[in-house]
Amino acid sequence: MSQAWVLGQRALREGWRAPEALLPVLFIPLFFLVVNVGQAAKVFPSASTAFLHGQGYGAFQLPSSLLLAASFGTAALFLVEDIEGGYFDKLRATPIPRSAIVLGRLIAELAKGLLIAAALVVLGLIFGISIASGPLGFVLLVALTALWSVVYMGFLQLVALKTRSAAATNSAGFVFFPLLFLTPNLVPRDLLTRPMEIAATLNPVTYLMEALRSLILEDLDWGQILPGFAVVAVLGAIMLALNVRVIRNYD
Amino acid sequence: MGPPMNPVARPGLVGVSDERTARSDEVDDVAGVAERTQPAPGTTAAVQAEALVKHYGGRSGTVEAVRGVDLRVEAGEIFGFLGPNGAGKSTTVRMLTTLLSITSGTARVAGVDVAREPDAARRRIGVALQEAGLDPRQTGRELLVLQGRLFGLSVHEASERAGQLLALVELEDAADRRIKGYSGGMKRRLDLASALVHEPDVLFLDEPTTGLDPVSRLTVWEELQRINGRGTTVFLTTQYLEEADHLCDRLAIIDGGLIVREGTPAQLKADLRERRGLGSDPTLDDVFLDATGRTRDRVAGDVQEVSA
Repeated sequence: MSQAWVLGQRALREGWRAPEALLPVLFIPLFFLVVNVGQAAKVFPSASTAFLHGQGYGAFQLPSSLLLAASFGTAALFLVEDIEGGYFDKLRATPIPRSAIVLGRLIAELAKGLLIAAALVVLGLIFGISIASGPLGFVLLVALTALWSVVYMGFLQLVALKTRSAAATNSAGFVFFPLLFLTPNLVPRDLLTRPMEIAATLNPVTYLMEALRSLILEDLDWGQILPGFAVVAVLGAIMLALNVRVIRNYD
Repeated sequence: MGPPMNPVARPGLVGVSDERTARSDEVDDVAGVAERTQPAPGTTAAVQAEALVKHYGGRSGTVEAVRGVDLRVEAGEIFGFLGPNGAGKSTTVRMLTTLLSITSGTARVAGVDVAREPDAARRRIGVALQEAGLDPRQTGRELLVLQGRLFGLSVHEASERAGQLLALVELEDAADRRIKGYSGGMKRRLDLASALVHEPDVLFLDEPTTGLDPVSRLTVWEELQRINGRGTTVFLTTQYLEEADHLCDRLAIIDGGLIVREGTPAQLKADLRERRGLGSDPTLDDVFLDATGRTRDRVAGDVQEVSA
């Protein structure tokens, strides 16, 4: 684990020294938040829209922006750079557990995810969004978002290890858009058309979004929060297992 | 880490020219290494490969990159591994350094089976591959400290070792600059230093001077001689025959995945002179062309497909 931490520190330095890669992670989710609220806020006035629980439409949309910010996975492109530049082989030639090489980047992604999620939520607070579930809810909101960023980074890292291609890894990042739009993104699940409702029910990202949304709009509701954490736990375990398997068999 | 093999015995330089012997003596003087001796019979080879085979599966069928390589490199040697593009040099090196699985055959480095005990082998080898494997966003010092930490050194030990290595490769002034600003020669020297962090018994270098200007190349040669003078076995692949002639105690030429010549540069030249009945000494270029069945005309006009 200490070697994974050493590699995690290196990955954090890498992110810190490439701020140009971090800026879109903050800017694009904020852009979507502003545009979506601008387009639909009048349709869903807070006074007469029950599912907003007295808040503005921005509070309903914040989870989409958080999930989008957590799904950039730019660190996977740094991994491709390592592979193409030969540094990845340098790491593989050291006597460390293969799992440390993938875990290092995931640890760094968790730290970055915590920072980015906290920044976005604080920006939301500045613009009038409140966290109805209180300080614990704030912590859970940030933690769940950061854990999702680890899961998605695990997926992109897997693509990077299998394809060793920046183009393929970059393209894989766009997989998140259909996942995001097949959720109750604009309205709650019970207001979706039947086919969309079925698709959203089958989509694991739905449970994440509903968990995040409940933390913003309602008091702690474990019935909605726990499925979100269950999704990241199950998908995280799968991604970690696949990453370790791929790197152990990497030729 | 296992018991170090250094200082090591060095094979006798049978048939090597006076110039090479003089160079060898000079290196020993620089490093302050005691007089080297012939390896005792039965001593552990630094590198030993038997019937080493690597097949790649692809859409167009199986590619036999290495088809049965037998090698023995004695401790303390600078061993040159030559061959045309796609001959199997890099594939062999990657198998010997645990970076590539072995289809069949065995390989031992510093007495350790690389397939059965890869981590033990990794502790005994240093690796600098064709592309200088460096992280451009780190400084030279950070890279060396990180490498030391991965080999189990404490922060203090890794920092101290990084300082020693930066001095060895004369990069102290650039130590705290990011690597992306380094020249090609500086990157090569840093790559060499990172391969030496854990004081390996065997150093594998895959085309360490490719793409370098003549001055940088000479600097790398000096580093290699200094490192070897301290007792580290060097396994070197190169495209430059004058480099092999200048640096290597022994060499092997691989072509089509098989070793086609092996010996000291002087032995290989003498053998060609005798076989061809030449009036003067052939060059290592002539030996290479003879061994690989190529002619100067064909090589000059060759367009070759390179594979891993």
